This record gives sequence, structure tokens and C-alpha cells, in this order.
Amino acid sequence: MRRLLRNRSGMLGLGIVIIFVVMTLLAPVLRPYNAATDRNLALRLKPPSTEHLMGTDELGRDVLTRVWHGGRVSLSVAVLVVAGSAVLGTLLGVLAGLTGGWLDMVLSWFVDILLAFPGILLAITIVATLGATLSNALIAISIMGIPGYFRVMRSSVLGLRDLEFVQAATALGSSRFRVAFRHILPNGLSPLIVQVTVDLGRTVLTIAALGFLGLGAQPPTPEWGLMIKSGYSQFLNAPWLSIAPGFAIYLSVLGFNLLGDAIRDVLDPQLRG
Amino acid sequence: MNRAKRMIALLLAAFLGIAAAQVPGSTLIVGMTTLPNTIDSADANDSGSIGVTRQIVDRLVELGETELGPGLALRWEATEDSTAWTFYLREGVSFHDGTPFNAEAVKFSLDRWNDRSNPYHFASDGKAYVGWRNLFGGFLNDGSALDEVTVVDEYTVKLDLNRSISFLPSLLAAGYFGFDSPAAVMAAGANYGTPSVGSVGTGPYRFEQWQEGSRLVLRANPDYWGGAPQTEQIVFVGVGDQTARLAQLKAGAIDIASDLAPSDLPSINADPNIEAILGSGGLNTSYLAMHQNQPPFDNVLVRRAVAHAIDRQAIVDAFYAGQAVLARDIIPTVLWGHGDYEAYAYDPKLSRELLTQAGYPDGFSTELWFRSSGLEPVIAEVIASYLADVGIQAAVKTEDWASYLANYMAGNFPMYTLGWNADFPDPDTFVYTFYGPPAVRRFGLERPDVVALVERAREVPSQEERQALYARALTEIHDEVPMLTLAHESKFLVVRTGVEGVVMNPLGGFPRLNNATKATN
Amino acid sequence: MNTYILRRVLGTIPVLLGVTFLVFAVNRIIPSNPAVAILGDKGTVEAQEQLAEELGLNKPVFLDLQGYRATGELKALFDSQYVAYMRDLLTGDLGRSFMTRAPVVDSLRVRFPATMELAFFAIIIGAGLGVLLGVVAALNRSTWVDTTMLFIAVSGVSFPVFWTAIILIYVFSVNLGWFPPAGRLAVTSTIEPITGMHVLDALLRGQFNLALSALHHLVLPAFALGTNAMALIMRMTRSSMLEVLQRDYMRTAKSKGLMPRVVVLKHALRNALLPIVTVAGLSFGALLSGAILIEAIFNWPGIGSWVYNAITQRDYPIIQGGILFVAGVFVVLNLLVDLSYVLIDPRIRY
Repeated sequence: MRRLLRNRSGMLGLGIVIIFVVMTLLAPVLRPYNAATDRNLALRLKPPSTEHLMGTDELGRDVLTRVWHGGRVSLSVAVLVVAGSAVLGTLLGVLAGLTGGWLDMVLSWFVDILLAFPGILLAITIVATLGATLSNALIAISIMGIPGYFRVMRSSVLGLRDLEFVQAATALGSSRFRVAFRHILPNGLSPLIVQVTVDLGRTVLTIAALGFLGLGAQPPTPEWGLMIKSGYSQFLNAPWLSIAPGFAIYLSVLGFNLLGDAIRDVLDPQLRG
Repeated sequence: MNRAKRMIALLLAAFLGIAAAQVPGSTLIVGMTTLPNTIDSADANDSGSIGVTRQIVDRLVELGETELGPGLALRWEATEDSTAWTFYLREGVSFHDGTPFNAEAVKFSLDRWNDRSNPYHFASDGKAYVGWRNLFGGFLNDGSALDEVTVVDEYTVKLDLNRSISFLPSLLAAGYFGFDSPAAVMAAGANYGTPSVGSVGTGPYRFEQWQEGSRLVLRANPDYWGGAPQTEQIVFVGVGDQTARLAQLKAGAIDIASDLAPSDLPSINADPNIEAILGSGGLNTSYLAMHQNQPPFDNVLVRRAVAHAIDRQAIVDAFYAGQAVLARDIIPTVLWGHGDYEAYAYDPKLSRELLTQAGYPDGFSTELWFRSSGLEPVIAEVIASYLADVGIQAAVKTEDWASYLANYMAGNFPMYTLGWNADFPDPDTFVYTFYGPPAVRRFGLERPDVVALVERAREVPSQEERQALYARALTEIHDEVPMLTLAHESKFLVVRTGVEGVVMNPLGGFPRLNNATKATN
Repeated sequence: MNTYILRRVLGTIPVLLGVTFLVFAVNRIIPSNPAVAILGDKGTVEAQEQLAEELGLNKPVFLDLQGYRATGELKALFDSQYVAYMRDLLTGDLGRSFMTRAPVVDSLRVRFPATMELAFFAIIIGAGLGVLLGVVAALNRSTWVDTTMLFIAVSGVSFPVFWTAIILIYVFSVNLGWFPPAGRLAVTSTIEPITGMHVLDALLRGQFNLALSALHHLVLPAFALGTNAMALIMRMTRSSMLEVLQRDYMRTAKSKGLMPRVVVLKHALRNALLPIVTVAGLSFGALLSGAILIEAIFNWPGIGSWVYNAITQRDYPIIQGGILFVAGVFVVLNLLVDLSYVLIDPRIRY
């Protein structure tokens, strides 16, 4: 822990993340917003000014407010997505590692199939089938993240399974699953934490990418990727529409990545890239 | 506009190129929203595809500025009851592959479109011939009005119908019915009209190359029967974004741009390098529909309340820059067949009274769905504000086109906006499409008496009788208010100054470019 | 060793089969009729039903249990959409697009090289810049140069790739005018396809100015696409080089009196090459994924935009053919990377 505190870039990352989380939580308090009723056709496409620090968009809405509330959307969805992937992936991975045999083969096969889809292609296919909404995007990106956790936990289990203390516990009569939860999981925790921090940044990017393609959040929800997309068609006369939300994405992902790298350096120096 | 200058510089640099591009004779570059889906004209059902095929193939009958005129058929005559038509074809015309155009060629194509068992119909390969089905009623022995095509002599062909269609020439002027070379179709099989094969017709331009996703190239046909085209080559490119299309036109990267926004007209008129080619009257209608499966729109008082709540004239004035007229009913003002009644006036007070009468003194909540393209997003917002003024809280929503289609057709939308473009210059394409059998699906409207009127109007031989039938149907519909018609929009093109000879097509689709020229700099 | 290779190669087959399964299931299990989207607003209910019938969409998706029970024949069990598709697939027939009725294979022949060319140049830029910056970072370890490089590396994976593209267009295309904002070539230029990759084809035909134009159009999209890979490769290069530089034999070589710079560049880099190649190969997947976004912005007629449009239009044959093809390429690439790892590094035992 002390080593973490000494890692400067990690602290920077932590700082950024904390700022984002705080701002996200405070958003409805400091600057309440109702996306459905927000429109002011008289103030369309105004460049940044003292009144509107990031300008206004094609419906006259204040960009800064929308970027701020967009943070709520991105961060809350990202947390849910990572939680979903982590829980499912861990369960399946531990299961595969412990039971072995044909269940392991089948689960690994399924995960390999998911991995055969490069990047967001899988998410796009799922969302297009289920319908383009933010909740479906959530499901799709969650599924996309499962293989990562599956592999990490499975190899963790495989590595620990044959260690003495585990064998001792089994010999003493604990069921396999109790063994898993009480002994293996805590020791497999560090690669899990590393995976989570890496995943958070990547998830925010994917949410934005789906929003940009029109397959995630739908208007009038203030989602960063969607804002970049709507802003792009006005790019020549109103570039601020796309620049602001993009910068927000960059900063938040940067925070997660810096923090994640620092945690990884501390917990598992072997994995250092 | 410093940015515009930079755009001009960079696009010209790319255009003229480090690459010494071979620009033969002269070339016109056309920027459309998207490249065609197919250039088999009968199989096409989108305006992009029809626009390109219009350069390659000819129809039997062509629509001039206001009237029908000869195309590949010089003249035609019908029996008294309009159930048998004879077409006298133009002689001495050849397809681009050298094969002759004659009655056999006409029969080949008509049979191919009409008969599902024809070896060149290719239904199992996905060709659906939507245009033929809608305009002729179906296919051979399954709803089609066309029973048989007879080759009387080399340049005379006879069409036998199983019902009276007095406006058959109008039908045949539709963009779908361009005639292809039988030899080319037989050689290409189901691949006819795809990028690797193209299409072969009798038109002013012949197909040269189609790089899918990039561009489609046509070359002038010097032997065209209507006179050799002035421009040697036409290149079609797809620029999906409307703003980008205008920007490229301003920068000179493209010469002609289609589907630009009316709100850009002031900026277009102010720019000396480009000019707008305006149309004369739009054969299209945009509308706000209310589905009667979704309460409270099953109550006619509520629908009338909506009709009075919206200031349609203000919308037309605000968003179309003078390029649209208020739609009194579904038929465009330039066509005949209108009903005789007062259009719904903007009267919010009356609207509130009607709502109270209907049992909604405090209004109600509903959804208003719109397509996420063109003016619909903004207009939907404006309509929602008008509705809010009388107490109707309408949440505006949109989704992708494929889902939108499925949902509106399934009756899942209480209110939705859409539009319709005429396929051919006759009221039938409007009235039948909306108040004929499809009315049930579109609005949940069950008026078999109106459907009967509309179907009868297809079969009656004289235009006066048809006019009377349509007028009656529309007057009946007027009181029902299944939808609120909004505007007839005059489509326009924008060209670089120096491009001459481009005239808008009355049907609204992309016009023929056989007379277009470009001043060489 | 050979059994390992064989096992790995054969192991890709069930994975690819699984991909066809998954794509099929995801597309066709949901009860929506693509004929609605195909026929558009002009489609009537009869037309939609008839087209669905013609396209075989009314058949059961995977197995025809009803038909089997009715006739008792095993053959009837397999009268399904999936079996029909796989049968065609084995003969190389990927079907026809629902929207355009053009054979999927024909489109692939145009679309795939476009994306490959883009990905190839993205990797070159990414690897080139990545190695360069990584070497600089490694040589200047723990100085401000190193910190800056590391920051660039983290930033490189933190930027949304579509935003990078937009910013690049704005700065280098709209404002500075150095590069074109879209397309593979100028509108009036043509390169007769041999491989479908414009630079290669133009060079093969001796049309050097066209090759140059194609390259000119490639710079911005390839750079945008490659920033992610660049960041990863830079870090990998840096850490590999650091590791190698510290090894004993390096110190021995140094002490033998060889010039430090020469030592670095020749020995260190060569030894550090393996993990760099690995990362490059593995980045390819991210490239294919980013290609969808880049192609949309630059109007690039590649597989990404093709499959994406097909997905929004419910054009199943393109979705299936495109995804299967891309997954196939991806799986093969991963396989090659894995195998090369085994072949090159004798320390790894299987």
C-alpha cells in the first residue's frame, strides 16, 4: 500500500478518478438536469463564452452541463458492466478451473468463441439484435468482458489448486467450493483487481464507441460518445461540440489507466508491460 | 470563412491530385447520400438506385415538365375500356451492347418482372420487384393487372390487362420500369445490376465501372436516340453526411449535390460559386400519423384536437425556406383529385375544447416518434411544443430506420412522422397507399367504404369519374383525421456555377443529366 | 512439437464453427423479419411475407424437429437455415446480400483488401513510431524524456480512437490542408485492382503518382488507427530493451570496448524484437475493431463499414459472411503469433 502511495503517476490517476467520482455524485445536486425537457432553440450553436463555458449545441443545450452529466452515464454504466463481467467471468473461470474435464473444455470453447470476435464487433452484433438502447449496450459490453476475467481466474485456480494448503484443506474434508471461496479466491484476488482496473478504462471507451455508432445511448441522453457523434455533423461551424466530450473521455480513461498501472506495478510486478 | 478556404485548398489538392488524374473530355461528379443498392431498375426501391438507373435505361413513357411524353414508345392507344393497350415503339434504337431494342425486348422485360416463374425473375435470389408489385397489383395470376404481352410486330407490342387501367402510361413512366438488354440480363443472371456486372440499357449514359463503397462511373452514349450527351463522364459518389456534402460542393470536390437541407438555401444563394436548381412542385407529402390502436387516438375528437393544435403554416414557413407548401390533404397541390372542405385551421382554443369534450380536460401523455434524418428531428420538437401548449405531453423519440419501419408497421407508435414520394404522376400512388388496404396497418383505420372507393378509382376509365371518386374518399377521410398532412416539399439540387442543363425531375428523384454541361475552366 | 502445432491448428475449427453458431443464433433467433427493412416503406405485408419465404427465413433456424417427426427421415431434420448456410459455405458460396442482391464474396474481394491495407499501414506507423519512441525512452531511462514517453504511451490507449480521428481531420485536413479528409483516392482516379490494395496495385502497374496519392489518403486514417498499437508497442519496446540492457552479457559486451550506441542498437533491439512482434500481432485484433470506427469517419470502403451498415439494415448474409471472415482472419493471426512464439523462443516448452 505504501508503495502505491509513492507511485506518482498512480496518485495522479487516483486523483483524477476521485475527482470524477465526486463530480458525478454531486452532479444532480449542483446542477440538476432533465435531458428530456432541456432545449432552448434561441441559443443554438453558440461558441464557448462566460455564460456557457463549453458553448451550446444544436438544440441550444449547455454543453458543459451535458458533459458533466454524461460522466454520470459513462461511469455508472462502466461500473455496472465491469461488475457484471467480473462476477460472471470469475464464477465461470473458477468453475472451469476447479471441475476440469468436459465442463472446462466447453466453457473454454465458449470463451474462445467470444475472443474470436475482434473488439466491439461482438458488442455491435448483440446490440443490433436486441435493439439500440443503453441497457442493451450494457449487456453486450458485459459479455464482451467475460473472457478476460474467465482466463485470469481460471489460471489462478489452476495455479493454486495443487498447492499444499489447498490439498490439505480438501483432505480435511472441506467441499471443493468451500475451498474455492475461502482459500483460492482470496489468493486470486490480486490479478482480479488488476483486471478490473484495466477493464474500467477500456469499458468507458467501448461505451463511448457504441454511443458514437448510435448503438448505445439514444438522444436525448447526454452520453459522451453520442455527443461526439451529433457534434460531428456540425464540425466545421461548431467544433467545440465534439472536442469537449472527447476530452472528458480521455481524462477519465487516463485516470483509470494510470491508477490501474500503478496497482498492477504494486501487486504483480511480473505483469509489467 | 478561413476554414472554408482551407477546405477548398485541401479538397482541390486531393481532387486535382498529386496523381495526375485522367479527366477525359469533361466529367461531372455527383454527390448523393449513398451509392445505389442495385442498378437493376425494376428491382430497385430506393431513390439513390433509381437516380442512377435513370441515366442508363429508358422507359416507354417519360414524364416531361408537366405532361407525359414519348420515351421508347412513340405513341400508344387503348381499347374503350382500357383493358388492352398497344404501344408503338421507337425504331432504330440499340442497347449499349449493340443488341437491338424492339418489341421482343419489351416483352422480355415485362415478362421477367411480371411472372414469378420466369427464368430471369430471380425471386429466390432476393429480387422482390417492389415497384412492379405495388403499381401493377402483384404478379402474374396473383394480383397482377397484366395478363399477357404480345409481340404484334417488330415495333409494336400489346399489353392485355385483366382490369381497366386508364392511367397505364402514367404507371409506365415510373422510374422502376426501365428496359434492359435481354442479352445482358441472360448473360449476367441474378448478378444483373450488381457492382461486378452493372446494367445495359438504351439511355444517354452507359455503365462503365462500380467500385462498391467508393464510386460509380458512367460514360456517355454517343448514339443516344435523344442526342449525344454533352458530358463525357459522370461519377457518382456517396457522401452520407449532409453538411459534408454541402462542404464538398462548396470546395469544388463535387459538381452536383442532392438532398441538401432547405435551411441551407440562404447560405447557398449567398455563395457565388454554387447555385440551387429548384423544382416546380413536390410530388411528395410529409405527415404526422396517429394510430387508432393506441388510445386515446381511437377517439376522433382527440385526433381533431391534435389537428387544430398545430400551426402547420408556421412550420412550413419556418423550416423550408420557401420550398414547401402546406399540405391540405394527401395529394400534392399540383395534382388533381382533391376533396372539397376546409383545411384544419390552427386553433388551440378549439383544440382544448375538443379535448375536454373527449374526456381529457387536462390533456394526456403520449409518444411522438420521428425519423432521425432531415428536418424531422427539429419539426418533431416543434410539434411537441405545440401539443404541450394544449396539454398533450408528447415525449419525442427516435430509433434506427429498420426498427422504425418494423414498429410503425406493427402499430406500436401512437404518433409518428413519415413522408411519401410519388412513384408516378397520378393521385393513385398517394390515395391507394394511404387510404386503400394499407390504411389498417398505417393508422388502424377501418373504413371499407373508403377502400372500396379508392379501389374503384383504379379501374374506372375516365379521369372525371376518378376525380369524383377521389374527392369523395378524401372528404370522408377528412372528418376521420387519421393523419395530419404537413407539407409538400419541392426538392432541389445544388450545382457549381458553370454547370448548365440540369433540370429537376417533377417526380422529385434525381434527374437525367443528358443535357448537363460543365464549363471548363 | 509437431503434434502441438497440429493440435492448435485443428483447435481453431471448433472455434470458428462456434462463431457461425453464435452469429446465426444472435441474428435469427429474435423474431424480426429482415424483409421489412429490405423492402422499406414501400413494402406491403404480402411482399414482406413472400420475400421472407424466398430467402428461406421461415425455415427453422438450427434443426427442423417438426419436419423430422412428420416424415421420420433424418434428412428432414437438417432442413434448416443453418444447415443450408453451412452447406453453401463449404462450396465457397456466402450467399447474396439481402439489400443489394450482390454476392457476398464479390463484396469481400473489394472490402477486405481496403481494410487490410489500412490495418497494415496502421501497424507500420504504430510499430515504427512505437519502437522509435520506446528506444528513446529506454535509453533515457528515468529522465523527463522517459516520463514524457510513458505519458504518451498511456495517453495513446486512453484516447477514444474515433475522437483522435476527428481531431486529426480538423487539424491536419481542414485547418492545415495537408491531407485529404476522406476516401482512398481522389474521386476521378482509378486503379485497376489486382490485389485490391491501392498502393500495391499502383506500384505493380508502375503508376507511381497514383501510389503516392493512395498513400496520401492513407496517412490520417492509418495514424489514427495506429495510435493505440503505437502506445502498446512503445511500452513493450521500452521494457524489453531495459530488460535486455541489464543482462550480464550486455555488460560484458560493453566492457569489451564496443561503442555503446552500436551495442544498443544491434544487440538489444534484436533480442527485444520477439515480444514486440507478439504485441504487434495481438494488436491486430484491436485494429480490426477500431477499423469500424475509422472507416465510418473517413468514408473508407472496408469491411468495418460494410458489416456495420449491414448490421443496422439486418442484412444477414453480409453480417454472417463478414463476421465469419474477420473472425477467421483474427483466429489465424493469433494462431500464427502463438506458433511463431513457440518456434522462435526455444525456452518455451510444450
